[in-house]
Amino acid sequence: MAQTQATKVEHLLVLENIGLSFKGVKAVIDISFAVAAGEICALIGPNGAGKSSLLNVINGVYQAQQGRIRFAGEEHRRMRPHDAAARGIARTFQNIALFKGMSVLDNVLTGRTLKRRSSWIEQALRIGRAAGEDDRQREAAERIIDFLHIQPWRDTLVGKLPYGLQKRVELARALAAEPRLMLLDEPMAGMNAEEKQQMSRFIVDINRELGTTVVLIEHDIGVVMGICDHVVVLDYGRKIADGPPDEVRQNPEVIAAYLGTRH
Amino acid sequence: MPTFTDNPQPAAGSLPQWLQQQARQQGTGIALRHKRLGVWQVRTWHQLAGEVQRLATALQARGFVPGATLVIVSRPRPEALIVALAAQWLGGVAALLDPLEAAAAQVPVLRELHREWVLAEGHEEIQRLRAAGLAPRLLIYADGRGLTEVSQAGDTLAFAQLLQQGSDLQFEPQARAKRTAFALYRLGAGQGIEQQRISHAELLQEGRRVVHSEQLGQQEEALVARTFAAGGQVRYLLAPWLIAGFRLNFPENLATRDQDRRELGPTLVAGTRETYERLHAQVLARLPEPGSWRRRLVDWALDTRPGAMHRHLGHWLIRRPLRDVLGFSRTRVPLLVGEALAPHTQAFFRALAIEVRTWPDPAQWHHPVPWPAPLVNGWIEDSTQPA
Repeated sequence: MAQTQATKVEHLLVLENIGLSFKGVKAVIDISFAVAAGEICALIGPNGAGKSSLLNVINGVYQAQQGRIRFAGEEHRRMRPHDAAARGIARTFQNIALFKGMSVLDNVLTGRTLKRRSSWIEQALRIGRAAGEDDRQREAAERIIDFLHIQPWRDTLVGKLPYGLQKRVELARALAAEPRLMLLDEPMAGMNAEEKQQMSRFIVDINRELGTTVVLIEHDIGVVMGICDHVVVLDYGRKIADGPPDEVRQNPEVIAAYLGTRH
Repeated sequence: MPTFTDNPQPAAGSLPQWLQQQARQQGTGIALRHKRLGVWQVRTWHQLAGEVQRLATALQARGFVPGATLVIVSRPRPEALIVALAAQWLGGVAALLDPLEAAAAQVPVLRELHREWVLAEGHEEIQRLRAAGLAPRLLIYADGRGLTEVSQAGDTLAFAQLLQQGSDLQFEPQARAKRTAFALYRLGAGQGIEQQRISHAELLQEGRRVVHSEQLGQQEEALVARTFAAGGQVRYLLAPWLIAGFRLNFPENLATRDQDRRELGPTLVAGTRETYERLHAQVLARLPEPGSWRRRLVDWALDTRPGAMHRHLGHWLIRRPLRDVLGFSRTRVPLLVGEALAPHTQAFFRALAIEVRTWPDPAQWHHPVPWPAPLVNGWIEDSTQPA
């Protein structure tokens, strides 16, 4: 019965035996796990465990030397970042990667680039499909701005915003692409408790309201245990645990590697 | 003025009747504007009256009767106003509660009220109702965010869904001049509940006074302030709006209200002491360092002294830009409802040629009559409604 139920789970992302090394240094070693559609999955582990490298493999920034990735039922041996974006994978970065000299609205609009149908010539000259498309893209961007409650800063230059808000704008830009899978690399790094709580709320809302599957890297175990359905633990490039938060929390290997052992 | 006892038919002089009148007189004129997704959305008087009537038919079909109370826990937004007018159209009472009030003070009030008809703005407000153990007969929500798990079994409906259930059947407002239009509640000093009930007649009387003395007309633009659930707002903003037929603007949300005011440049501001003091504090925080030449220039411009140079140069260099930043560039009628301003704040606005005029808040708080209350002409006039 349990097996029957397990096969019914629709996996949006499946990683099989992924291996990645840099000049002989093994960053990711034979990692396999699956992310169910509609879940929030956390990748946790000590610094240097290979978490960010794994995200980079998933969205094609790095090409794994070993293993395969299946996304939305399609297998991809080598997927480039633009392929990943076109297939519905969006991401945010550990270090904020926004256009600091542009407004919040313009940054969010850049996330709509793949949703535009007009050519660059039409856009440059504002002719043909570009004219009507602007209103539609603006409305879509405004919906995201509304969803993440950043209306007061709509016209503010991103470089003038505090760090926590810049993180939210980055999330907005990723969300503007209407992704099926969102990869969030330490979305709460450097935030205070209140900002973390707010960001956690937004991530849960994105998952529940928009149905977006989320894979996130996070060091705050309280946040991970609070909002995630599934936790994958890495240590020295290997997977040491994979399961629901409560199960992972009890895993002695996790306690030893991540939380530290009592000697 | 005819009273309810004099005239069993709906008497002239209620808020819904003024709405009806504005819809007849200036149907295509703009009644409401609400900023949504960065764009000002417009409702004409005709559309507004149609929407209120449609909602009234939907409420009536679900059993809302004259004298019933509809509790509204919402920040300022058109849905809250439309629901209030629909309840009043049916001869009911709109009870306004401020969602920004501390939960500890509001939950006991909600628990005590135990109302059957409620509009809760969104998820947080519904959580409050649940904390108070309220199980209304109909719970309407305006913002569906975070409510995917809320029961859709007929007792909980989105505003838009309820509106869809209404019909275009035309019928006269059931409101009576002497009946309560709005009720406000608070937790009193002794932890007992106190209420303030304002009748249509009282509102219209106060509203007319403001319209006449401030010479308000259809050309005015007003922005609804933070404190939607306040007696001052319904007396000095909502009633004059319906009588004079000007435009009422709702900000995108409370966090954007200062930007929206700046963008809009309202001619009528009905604020509280907090409104004006907050704006004054914002300016003080952004002033140049004391002692700097720029600060001396600002101080010189804001100083009240005679002379054409001071008047003109000070106006173009400092006072006019400051009025723009504050969103008072076109303000003709700056009203202060309730407690007077501190002298330094009053002086600051006076220096900007904004003469804030105080209108008292004649709120009369008293303890609700215990239920069941005596029937008045077949209506129950009390703080609780029949089961």
